[in-house]
Amino acid sequence: MMNARLHDDARDPSDDVDFPRISTGNPQADAILAGGFPSNSVNIVMGQPGTGKTIFAEQLLFHNARLGGGRPLLYLTTLSEPMSKVVSYAQRLGFFDVDQIGTRVLYDDLGTELSASGPAVLVPRVLESIKRLSPSIIVIDSFKAVHDLSDSNTGMRRIVSELAGVLSAYDVTAFLLGEYTQENIESYPEFAVADSIVQLERNALGARDERYFRVLKLRGSGYSEGQHAFRITGNGLQIFPRLVTPDFTSYTPTLERTQSGIEGLDAIIGGGLWRGSTTLMIGPTGSGKSTMGLQFALQAVKEHEPALFVNFQENPAQVDRMVRSLGTDPARAEREGFYHLYTSPVELQIDSVIGDIFNFIETRGVRRVVIDAVGDLMTAASDPQRLHDFLYSLVQHFVVRNVTTVLNLEAAAGFTSPNDREQRWSYMSDNVLVLGRTDNAAASRTLRVVKTRNSEHDAVAHALEIRGDGVHIL
Amino acid sequence: MTGRSVSPNELGALVLVVERDPNVRELESFFLNEAGFTVDFAEDGETALAMIRTRRPAIVVTEIMVPKLDGLALCRRIKEDTAISDTVVLVFSILAAHGRAREAGADAFLMKPLAERRLVHTVRELLVRREATQPRSQSGQE
Repeated sequence: MMNARLHDDARDPSDDVDFPRISTGNPQADAILAGGFPSNSVNIVMGQPGTGKTIFAEQLLFHNARLGGGRPLLYLTTLSEPMSKVVSYAQRLGFFDVDQIGTRVLYDDLGTELSASGPAVLVPRVLESIKRLSPSIIVIDSFKAVHDLSDSNTGMRRIVSELAGVLSAYDVTAFLLGEYTQENIESYPEFAVADSIVQLERNALGARDERYFRVLKLRGSGYSEGQHAFRITGNGLQIFPRLVTPDFTSYTPTLERTQSGIEGLDAIIGGGLWRGSTTLMIGPTGSGKSTMGLQFALQAVKEHEPALFVNFQENPAQVDRMVRSLGTDPARAEREGFYHLYTSPVELQIDSVIGDIFNFIETRGVRRVVIDAVGDLMTAASDPQRLHDFLYSLVQHFVVRNVTTVLNLEAAAGFTSPNDREQRWSYMSDNVLVLGRTDNAAASRTLRVVKTRNSEHDAVAHALEIRGDGVHIL
Repeated sequence: MTGRSVSPNELGALVLVVERDPNVRELESFFLNEAGFTVDFAEDGETALAMIRTRRPAIVVTEIMVPKLDGLALCRRIKEDTAISDTVVLVFSILAAHGRAREAGADAFLMKPLAERRLVHTVRELLVRREATQPRSQSGQE
């Protein structure tokens, strides 16, 4: 039966309206895009010069070239950067594979034809390339440069309509790159025909830049909204997807207390910190926060649990010295699961730090985390609300994984009770410990338990002493 | 003209493409010509039906969404008319209408976009099978 046999042909995807996805070659970008770009779509990658558009597109192209499939992938340069320069820079990137050039990855330069004949030459050239090469992916870099050649909006609208017609008629996925601005989205016709729009942003923040990957549109599909930080590395874009609050439906809290490793502390907080809880330690400089945080992390290692100590002030050599002063050999501690994540406050990008922390938790089975201090993150953050949302989500991820966390927060000298800023942190914490220090001749230190969720505690200030083997609560 | 005038295994078998989109028409024409077929076009179902009666194509490749007589109605009319009911019909559409195409009597269904290998392979296979299932006297090969 000819009819039935061909209708039932397994190769025929006619029943499949959930279009296959084109992977970007970047697992994080694929996750943000709910699996990648839909195949046979027209996609815009927009961003100012230097934001990473070309690298993103080339990473996608070489990744798909490695996946095979038989049909070539075509990169068309126009009037932005010459093809020779695009290829020359691409060679320095880790994903570049010279063996794919000319076979699976084809570069072609339309610059000369566009200069001579104007933007109308684009559609016939794309059509001719489809007939001659049967590409499965076409990148046009830059399409904005083609648009800028047009002397009328009507003319460009016609060209875009014809191009969209050709691209949607054939089994090809297209990427139009361009130095577009937010304002262009409403008036440029290419945005009306685009199935997806990805924006790469770069914001100057002091001496460094913050880069963000953002999906503005993805027709017929969900995606992870908001700004996702990224950095450009020798292997392409490294993206840190924005943390969202985890699903709590599969979460089972444990009724287990952890030992803090700080002499006298567990006794005044009901026998130890609940596993999976978050403790905020607020105090001025020299009140003992870092030492207590380090003791808490090292205690985990003594109990054969990996621990992560995150800090932004002391470099690795300084932390090694602190560890040694607490009677622990740093090299041995590291072998046994004490991880130290140091980022200079000058280079601090909160998204990447939080991404790194999350990665440690996921890959190393970390059970305790100390962040010393969240105030450094706040100083580095261009958007305090965004940082707060991020840390809230991170803490919730710790909770569902039963990771016990200590957040240190620097307070002003003479500090007695949390101000508005500090209150925001205390809301997300199960326990709040307030450390005090008086600068009299005796330089006395104190610790007071302000809050312990689901535990009894006293409200009195206890003396805190820093001795050779660490902090003691009296 | 009573029997078929072409063999699917000969170059030049006539394919009637019923398609309104000029880009699809151009690409279908290019790839089918490259594969050795002769291609004719109709932009709507009524014109296509008239051309089938007069030109007797070996196969009709039709979009569902064409004016006057849609691709599925065209398919039904072909299969109900004994004079032309042996015409092979491939429904090639932007719509995921596999089941509806089968109900209309289509010999095969493909979903757009155009992937030339899949299209050419399907057209060839349909014609080979048609020839194998029809008496030689009906296929104009005397």
